[in-house]
Amino acid sequence: MSASGRRRRGALDSGFTMDETVAEYIRRTVLKIPRHQIMEMLTMWEFLSKTQLETINVHQLKERISQEVVELCEENSASIKQAAILDMIYNYTYRNKKVWTVYQMTKAAGEETDSFNLADFKYKFKRSLRSALKNVTINFREYEDNAIWIRIAWGTQYTKPNQYKATYVVYHSQTPYVFISSLRSSIPLLCQALVHASNYHDIHEMELRSRCIDSLKDIVFKRYSQTFQTYHPRPLQERNVAPEKVDPRIIQENKREKERIQSVNQEVFGEGLQPKIEFAQYKLETMFKGEPEMDILTEKEPFRCVVKFSSPHLLEALKSLAPAGMADAPLSPLLTCIPQKARNYFKIKERKGILSASCLGP
Amino acid sequence: MEEATAYLRDGVLSHLEKLEAHARKLALKQEETQRQQENLVRLRARIQELRLQRDELQTKVNLQQVGLIRQEGATGSNVEPVQAAETGGQALLKWKVENVKAMLQAFRLTGISGKLTKQGVCFCISTAYEGTYLDSYYLDLLIQQPVQIRHHSVPIFIPLEQIAKKYLQTDIKCFLAMLSDHLNAYAGRKYQADQLQDHYSAFLEGTLQRNSLHNVLFFNYDVETESKTFPFRAKLVYGDLTRSLPTEATITCKAGDVSDSLVEKTAAHSNLFRHMALHKAFNSFRRAAESLDQTA
Repeated sequence: MSASGRRRRGALDSGFTMDETVAEYIRRTVLKIPRHQIMEMLTMWEFLSKTQLETINVHQLKERISQEVVELCEENSASIKQAAILDMIYNYTYRNKKVWTVYQMTKAAGEETDSFNLADFKYKFKRSLRSALKNVTINFREYEDNAIWIRIAWGTQYTKPNQYKATYVVYHSQTPYVFISSLRSSIPLLCQALVHASNYHDIHEMELRSRCIDSLKDIVFKRYSQTFQTYHPRPLQERNVAPEKVDPRIIQENKREKERIQSVNQEVFGEGLQPKIEFAQYKLETMFKGEPEMDILTEKEPFRCVVKFSSPHLLEALKSLAPAGMADAPLSPLLTCIPQKARNYFKIKERKGILSASCLGP
Repeated sequence: MEEATAYLRDGVLSHLEKLEAHARKLALKQEETQRQQENLVRLRARIQELRLQRDELQTKVNLQQVGLIRQEGATGSNVEPVQAAETGGQALLKWKVENVKAMLQAFRLTGISGKLTKQGVCFCISTAYEGTYLDSYYLDLLIQQPVQIRHHSVPIFIPLEQIAKKYLQTDIKCFLAMLSDHLNAYAGRKYQADQLQDHYSAFLEGTLQRNSLHNVLFFNYDVETESKTFPFRAKLVYGDLTRSLPTEATITCKAGDVSDSLVEKTAAHSNLFRHMALHKAFNSFRRAAESLDQTA
């Protein structure tokens, strides 16, 4: 086909044949990028020169754009490392497409926090991972907000790394939290490498998962607006006080109740925008509480069921339930404790004697 | 210019004399304006004091009036004095409320303030750096044995658990003081780094690299000496987390051969960064550059 013919011509000129898997991977990555972002991402990539970038015509079929990019990469002798960086740029921009799980690392008792050295971290991580598994591709990229992104493509003892199913890890130095996406079978290896590289002792998975990684960061770094009891409420201009032009003949019958709901809501949820999570799951292992006649279910075994709430923006939806009249204020603490406890997967067991939920987890 | 030539005709020495006299006059004028400004500030403060006094006296007068009216009205009708008493009572209440609010505001400005809650206390630590108030952080404590932190808004990289382990159960004052030191120092370091990035980016090459706790900073900047620009690389390590000045400042010159004057300069800059706030150090660089431009 003409595409491969062109490729070979380029190879003859420079004396370097780019690996076909690399070429294919770059082609598929460029195909994924939406048209209006292609130039921006290629510029961020900093692998193709300005003159080369100017030769790309973004107003043709995407198939052709990707072919052109591959040819330019051929001229510059791209390796898998550069291809991986382009993939990382794409996944950073579209980071909310993946589901992220939060892991927490713990230090052994008595250890002091030491100053973080990026080069040291990278070296230790690579060494730890490579000593266990030779066929891995590891890439790092640092961002302005102190986030370190790590991309790992896994292979096995006999096969080369699969670039299409890479795992992403986001780590902020001097914090004990790691955000991991798309992890399949190599959990223990990755965890061990992370713990070793960042000088911690242990790591465990938190019951906190969401697509919006920035909201996950807000929850664990406590950057969302929490309410604290103080003598100094926020100045008035920060509150959304929109004076409505109400006809004075209209009387609000339950105005007081509405105000009470508003104030209770504000106490519980705070005033700012809530972190964005998409689901909350409650596994119930409580006893069924029903009529004494229905003795099939009562008092024998816990009635197991799973309640799952899902929404494009769950916490904002919960916040608007009481003002909309769909639920009583205050809401159940099971729902409102999500950001504070930093979890959205709960297991609810019976408390001895009283039917109430205790947030025990695995 | 004409004056100058006229003076020169008289003689260089007389010209010098006249210049001296001129300089003396300017110095006197400067002293005078300074004195006037100090006076102004003093008078303004005095005005505030007098206003406060006046308000206090006014409420006292209101109270006395209420008392008098009540005495008079005891013989007369009862409706009026009740109203007057209410307004007098209201004024007193208002004054008390204002007073309390002002005291609470003053407490908050001290940096550590708190409010009793149902089960404990909620402390608010306000950070500030050299006169600018920065973020506030909150700690909700449960007062029981042992004292627990219910929830807080302290950033995750401040070693809260360590400080709590050492001091929370034994000496709460010390715990709050340590935490306040850490938070204020962090806020100060962050403020300096932000100021540097926002206002002095012309001097920096590339971006300022910092970590979450802002205790290791890397940046490159250009230094002009002997009419050539040299790229310098600075690494600032803030070893003591309760201070906002670095404990080590390593400055290296990235150019190939380094002359003695450059070595001196790196040592001088290292000393400067260790003793002066970052943005102030760069402000002095900018003023030095500006004065160089003026004399050139």
